[in-house]
Order: sequence, then structure tokens, then C-alpha cells
Amino acid sequence: MRVQLILAGRRLAVTACLAAAWVVPAGADPLPEEPAVKSMYRYFSDSHHVGVRSLMGDYTLAVKGNAMLALHWNNERVRIPAIDAPVGSPEAVDAITTASRPISGNAYQDFVKTRNEFQGELSSRGRALEYYLSSESDYLAQQVAARYDRDFQDQIVNLAVGSSYGWDAIKPLADSDTDTGHASKSTVHWDVVATRALTPTTLFRVGLEYNVVNGLQHNPYRNVYAGGTNVPERHPDERQRRDAFLKLNQYIDNRSSIKLNYRLYDDDWGIVSHEIDTNLNQYITQGMIVRYDYRYYTQTSADFYRPEYATVDGIGGYRTGDYRMGPLSSHLFGVSLDMNLAELGVTGRMLNRMGAWINYERYFNSNNYSANIVETALDFRF
Amino acid sequence: MKSPIRAEGTRGHAARLAIAAGLLALWALGSGCATVRAYQRERLADRIMSFQADAKEAARRTKALEAREGSTGGNGGAGGGCACN
Repeated sequence: MRVQLILAGRRLAVTACLAAAWVVPAGADPLPEEPAVKSMYRYFSDSHHVGVRSLMGDYTLAVKGNAMLALHWNNERVRIPAIDAPVGSPEAVDAITTASRPISGNAYQDFVKTRNEFQGELSSRGRALEYYLSSESDYLAQQVAARYDRDFQDQIVNLAVGSSYGWDAIKPLADSDTDTGHASKSTVHWDVVATRALTPTTLFRVGLEYNVVNGLQHNPYRNVYAGGTNVPERHPDERQRRDAFLKLNQYIDNRSSIKLNYRLYDDDWGIVSHEIDTNLNQYITQGMIVRYDYRYYTQTSADFYRPEYATVDGIGGYRTGDYRMGPLSSHLFGVSLDMNLAELGVTGRMLNRMGAWINYERYFNSNNYSANIVETALDFRF
Repeated sequence: MKSPIRAEGTRGHAARLAIAAGLLALWALGSGCATVRAYQRERLADRIMSFQADAKEAARRTKALEAREGSTGGNGGAGGGCACN
């Protein structure tokens, strides 16, 4: 009863935020974004031969009363390789790959699934409302969000608050070695972000985020080898996640900027993490920017994580085969090139309204896992 | 069901997290700092200085890394302002 009241209270608070975001007058009156259409191709491949192809589109247009409508869609095709061991054998325990796939019928075949995503945002003068939908064969996620921001002190300080409520329906596919029924998950999110112009060349941002997640939070297809047998993975149903972040952007006189980001995270499952991210942005010429990126991440393990479990009860009734619950560190290197054809002097009615972007990232972590990410994008401004 | 094995140390971390970020937020909003005049903000509005330009890219990266790491966040949640108008 008490849990239901708390959940109802949280939903009520989010609903109030959603309503207030549109009703409360905002002080800031930023220039609206330029109407534009953008298409993006993204390919992710990792050392476990998982491949994800994403085709994305963004459309931004002005609507009545200085408001902007932003629409985003994404079509993703995920390919997870076959399990190369007999179903049910210790070698075929899903935790080996950590991949989210059922083992049913012929597990020696690749598992392929499609995910479609839609997002719509209506914003005006520092206020925004957003709806998000993601659909795949075994998972339906929806979210409503609101944010509000306002300038203070002659517009050198901006304070933003945001909130969202997400609800997911999980319908696992047929699986030979697990039997998870239909389940759900909800996420309540709050954040507050302050941004300040410290000097004519320095921007500073500080933020706090808080999430409460309730419902199924383990992989319904994953088994854990515990007490000499395969048993389904089991994580706690509630998780409180919070983080604080600092960002500092510094302009440098040779037409470049350096950005430093730090994030501290902890949750009530026992994970504490630190993330440091830095990137250097440099104009090669007017209209062409190159960016170099480096990110370092480290985390402690969840209280119930063990490399091996002596009994099927795991730790306090929980057991995991998810390496994300264990201690790990990771590195990411990236480089990208951003081009604005008009600023590069390209002529032509169509071409001088276009931009192009290409990005490559290399990720690897302490679990012998690595991944490559390639992204390309074209945009057209009206 | 909540984890019955919650580490006591995590409470201390959470408290420190909140206090540190709260103090920094107070500082960011403090009125005693030097003012950056409107005509001095040209470089702050340059796209290589923008927080907003990075937001969607950061959100995509977070989504990809959430599936490989145990934490999330750091994007400012629903967003944030510019402080460069």
C-alpha cells in the first residue's frame, strides 16, 4: 500500500511538472532554431559480432507563436550472432555474450530484430514538452517529459529543470531455457541544471539527476551458472540512481575550444562510477570543424555481483550474469568532422543550405570488449 | 522489491554527491561574480562552445554505453539553457 502511494505521488509530481512547464511564464526568449531536416546513418559493431544499423531522421519546423516542433525517428536493425554450443549447456549460458537474445528453436542461427523509435518535442521560449516511443518485438517503451529554463542576472546564468515519466511493457519471446512472463518497468526522472558564463570565453555547467526505476531490470533471456546449474538471472525490482556532473567549455584564441566533463554516479545497488570526458574542437577553416574526443570511465560492482555463485540463491536472492554489474573501466577515442557547405563557399541553391558530418569512435573496456561506431549525417536548412 | 544488501557506504556517497553539487549550484547562481556583458558573449555563442550542439550526440552515446556499463546520466536530463544570449 505504502509503495503504491509513493509511486502515485511520484507520478503526480511528474504530471504537475508537465503542466507547469507550459503554464508558468518563462523569462528567457531565445531565438528559435532554424527549420531543418537531417538524416543520419549509424553503424555499431563489437567484438562479440553484434551489429546495429540505425537510419535516423530529424525534422524541425516553426509553428504558430514562436514555437518549434521537432520530430525524430529511428529505424534500427540488430543482429546478434548464433550461440555456438548446444542449448542448455554451460557454454551456451547467455551470460557469456551478455547479448539480449532468446535461445529458441535453432540457436545456431543469428537472431535479428528491428526497433522503431519516434520522438516529438514542442518547445517555446524555454519551455518544452516531449513524447517518446520505442517499439520492438519484445519491448514497448513510452515516455513523456517536460523541461523549463529561465535566464537570470542579465542572462549570464540559466537555470533549467526537467522531469519525465517512462513506462515500458516487456513481452519476452519464446525461450528454451527461461520462462519470464509479461512484465513492466517504470522510470521517474528529475534533473536540475545551472549554466553560467564565467568569463567572455568560459562557460560552466553543473547538474544533478535523480531516477527511480521500478519493475523488471534484468535480462529475461539470460541464465546464470550458479550452484552447478543454469538458473534465470534475477536483479532487484527497485533502483534509485543519481548523478552529479560538471562541464567546463573554454574558448581558445586559435579558433578552438576545449570541453571538460566530469560525472559522479551512484545507486542503491552499490555501483559508484566516475567519468571524465574531454574534447578539443578546432576550426580547420570557416565552415569546417574537427573534433578529437577522449573518455575514461570506471565503476565499482553491485552488491550482489559475484564472478561465481556457490548456490542457486546467489546473494540475498539475487544473481547476475551481466558484466555491467561488475567492476570495470573503459576508454573511448573519437574523431569527427563537421562541415557547413555554405560557409565553405559552396554555391548552388540546394548545396549552400546543406551540412555534412562524419564521426568515428573506438570503445574498449576491461572485460576484453571493444566496439567501433561510425556515424554519418546530412542536414538541409530551409 | 528493494535490494536488502545495500552497502552502507553508498549512502555516504549519495550525501556527498548531493552536497557537492548543491554547493556548486549555489556558487553558479551567486550574484557576487563578475558580469559578462552582452557585447562580450560572441565567443560563447560560437557553435564550438555550445552545450546544445553536443546534447543529441551525447544522448545517443549514453544510450549505446548504457548497454555496456552500469551507470547512466550526465546529459542534463531534459536539457539546459545557454547562458550566452
